[in-house]
Amino acid sequence: MHTDLSLIRLLQLVSPTLPIGMYSYSQGFEHAVEDGWVTNSTEANEWILGVLEQCLTRVDLPILSRLYDAWEQHDIQSVELWSSTLLAHRETSELRAEDNQTGQALARLLAGMEFEEASRWQRKKNTALATLFAFAAVKWGISKESALIGFLWSWLENQVLCAVKIVPLGQVAGQKLTYELSQKIPDLLEQGLQLKDNEIGGSVFGLALASSRHEMQYSRLFRS
Amino acid sequence: MSDELNTNNVGWKAELKLGFSYSGTKTILSKRVHKGPLTVQRPFYPEGGVCHVYLLHPPGGIVAGDQLSIDIQVEDEAKALITTPGAGKFYRSAGQQALQTVSLKIKENATLEWLPQETIVFEGAKLVSDVRVDLATNARFIGWEILVLGRPAANESFNHGEALLNWHIFRDAMPLFIEKMQLDTNAFFARWGLKGYSSCGTLFAVGANQANLEAVRLLIADTPRQGVTLIDDLLICRASADKSNIVRDFFEKVRSVIRQDIAQQQPYTPRIWAT
Repeated sequence: MHTDLSLIRLLQLVSPTLPIGMYSYSQGFEHAVEDGWVTNSTEANEWILGVLEQCLTRVDLPILSRLYDAWEQHDIQSVELWSSTLLAHRETSELRAEDNQTGQALARLLAGMEFEEASRWQRKKNTALATLFAFAAVKWGISKESALIGFLWSWLENQVLCAVKIVPLGQVAGQKLTYELSQKIPDLLEQGLQLKDNEIGGSVFGLALASSRHEMQYSRLFRS
Repeated sequence: MSDELNTNNVGWKAELKLGFSYSGTKTILSKRVHKGPLTVQRPFYPEGGVCHVYLLHPPGGIVAGDQLSIDIQVEDEAKALITTPGAGKFYRSAGQQALQTVSLKIKENATLEWLPQETIVFEGAKLVSDVRVDLATNARFIGWEILVLGRPAANESFNHGEALLNWHIFRDAMPLFIEKMQLDTNAFFARWGLKGYSSCGTLFAVGANQANLEAVRLLIADTPRQGVTLIDDLLICRASADKSNIVRDFFEKVRSVIRQDIAQQQPYTPRIWAT
């Protein structure tokens, strides 16, 4: 029997129990609910799909792919550049802080587990989550395609978890949402990988506005 | 007059290059080169040393195939303010895209205020707008983009057409902010997009501080669809509304509140906005 250790590593990397604090971020979703832009499961589907198609597919996927290549080729200069570029695409202070803090937490974790070289990303200003996610994927022999699918999956699972908590939705409605939206992943992966450098980018006006307004929301559960 | 002029036209190519320099007492328009229908009026000084310039585009609107290129350089210590005498317009296109490219280079301790009046994107227009801002370490900037999609006053919506709006802000050649927004009919109606509000806008200010952020938050209070964020010293305000004057009033108020800290100038409203 062939045991694929890289698959097991991927499952650990995308698990919601990975202690990098993902559960404390909603990416503007909380404010979309607060302002009444999302009130039920159909609207949650539309919101999450919009961000998935416009932002994750056009920004995160192509940059994660380039970060993966750069780590694989030991091209640290490109890692630095793409990491800074990814953060420059984040529309608000809290979205940047989220990416930076979860990335630094993953660096700390990886340094503590096995990879001392990850430690230099623990305090860097241009550390992004995708930077260290790509690093771990390369180190653990996870294929680029699997890593990208895993990244989308964990983002989607986290967004649905937010929806369940704050819309709120029942557990079955939440699973249905994940089930429906995750079907889009293969197509989106293909689209994201086709983008040339100058085509990378996708700003979502509603997300940017919701996240800006979330920063001044008086009472909130999530940090973004 | 039809709003679908020149659909088979190869388009106007217009180019404008301006340079601003500090003379020791005031900022002068030290370079002015133009090709095609894009020019400026004589600079004037309504508030001391700041050089004010009105950008003119005599055709009055941009049609399919047009290519406009604007290149502004503000040298060390110079202070410039650029605005337009009226709304910009992108007319409906039967096929070709219109292209507008703006490059704003701001050198050490220089300040640029880039304040074009709103841009009306007719239903069915196809355009790409690229704005690139290159900042030196201590450069200051206030700039905005205010859009109207379709012509709500004429009961026009935005059921077809596409505006690709790109902003790239670099400081010392490193990316500070990158935005690539695709506004098509999907994004116009979607709840993650404009939710059918016909006007939206973004204001950028570089050289901003925490006190500016707090002041803008007070301005917004509980007004819906207005937001502000501060990324290091980059302040970004975003707003959408069913009328562009709501977005514009908000941005004008923001500018009044932050101008002293950013441009070291008292609030001043260009007179042409009142006409």
